[in-house]
Amino acid sequence: MAGCAAPSHPDPRDPWEGFNRGVYNFNDTIDHLMIRPVATLYSTVVPDPVQSCVHNIFSNLGDVWGGINLMLQERGVDAINMWGRFMLNTTMGLGGCLDIASRTGDPKIPSDFGTTLGVWGLHQGPYLVLPLLGPSSVRDGVGMTADWYGDPLALYHIRNVGLRNSLYGLKFVETRAGLLDVTNTIDHTALDPYSFVRDAYLQRRAAMVRGNKPNTDALPNYDDEDKNAPPAAPSPSAAPAK
Amino acid sequence: MLSSFSTLMQRLLCAAVLACVAVAAQAQADKPDPNGPPDQLVLIVANQALTALKAGGSTQENGIARINKVVDQYVLPYIDFEKTTRLAAGHYWRQATAQQRTDLSKAFRGTLIRTYSGALTRVDPSTTIKLLTKRANDVQGDDAVVRTIITANTNAQPIEVDYRLGKGSQGWQIYDLNVEGVWLIENYRNQFAQQIGQNGIDGLIKALNERNNGN
Repeated sequence: MAGCAAPSHPDPRDPWEGFNRGVYNFNDTIDHLMIRPVATLYSTVVPDPVQSCVHNIFSNLGDVWGGINLMLQERGVDAINMWGRFMLNTTMGLGGCLDIASRTGDPKIPSDFGTTLGVWGLHQGPYLVLPLLGPSSVRDGVGMTADWYGDPLALYHIRNVGLRNSLYGLKFVETRAGLLDVTNTIDHTALDPYSFVRDAYLQRRAAMVRGNKPNTDALPNYDDEDKNAPPAAPSPSAAPAK
Repeated sequence: MLSSFSTLMQRLLCAAVLACVAVAAQAQADKPDPNGPPDQLVLIVANQALTALKAGGSTQENGIARINKVVDQYVLPYIDFEKTTRLAAGHYWRQATAQQRTDLSKAFRGTLIRTYSGALTRVDPSTTIKLLTKRANDVQGDDAVVRTIITANTNAQPIEVDYRLGKGSQGWQIYDLNVEGVWLIENYRNQFAQQIGQNGIDGLIKALNERNNGN
């Protein structure tokens, strides 16, 4: 698709669309040149059980901070469930390698500080595409910084620089590898991958802030007023030549 | 953020696909009743679709042609594709001719099947679907929400999938789908508007069909 300087269909939630599209294209280029090939190699070469083990270990480490955030969002029961998951998976699940808690009916409830800020009443702010990290927003960007420093089990706390950087790399590749099917599908089906990803991201974040609260406003209102609108008469110029 | 978004996108595919599939199949005696309660309709249709998919052996081997067939045969009667397309097109629907409406619905249907077929290949013998507890406002007149949870293979996180149904002359029919908080129609509205704004309705139909043909 040709690069468009001005957005043809501006979205009020995305006032920086021109800039964001630039970063998106940058990310996409780097991704195709370097990141995707490495992630593809990882998912081809590394045996599935190892991949799932690596994924679960990183995910397990995140459950403590996830639980803290759920507590900050006044979701006490969910918070305790997350910490219970961490304890069970760390011990019985061999350091988080196996996600036993999910199998016994205690699924992960993903949460982070961006969500907490949302629950506290902070609006999403403008949508923001971050270099290498992808979709975010002003609020979630701030939240991400807090996630880095606040998470007691973040890789950031590892003192050995070599080990820390290797783990950062592994986590990045592992995350990207998990997304390969999705990004391939988006590439092949989305009319505009940029707005597909943006709209999915913003919807998902709104849902995470709503949490499990029953909310009548949660359903989109599509204004189905055109239900009985008669079809337009075919204009002579646009008539299909069949 | 990246990782939570990645799980979301994974589930989007994986679950939404199931959701779509879930609406398939009539292999069992318990026939779906579009005039009964919407949650039972979704559950029965979904379970029958799952049974059919599992019975077909490894779905992975059969690919998109088979999924297309399953969708045509089993899912279609319970989905109002025209409504899905109409709502995604928004006010542009008024400007469309009868022919364009038909073509657009058909092209969009192809896109949705393509989108979800990848996820459908992940159905395995352990895949199950359950209804979540109903809420007081789930059914409002002719509009209903049915909330389900799909448990895929043992290593994957369960996926929450909600269906939106409308009641018309054919009873309840599904017209929208929510995977982990993301509604399908809402996610296509901007792209439709963008494409129509640039190239008109015929341009949108063409763009969808081009992608359906594997470009």
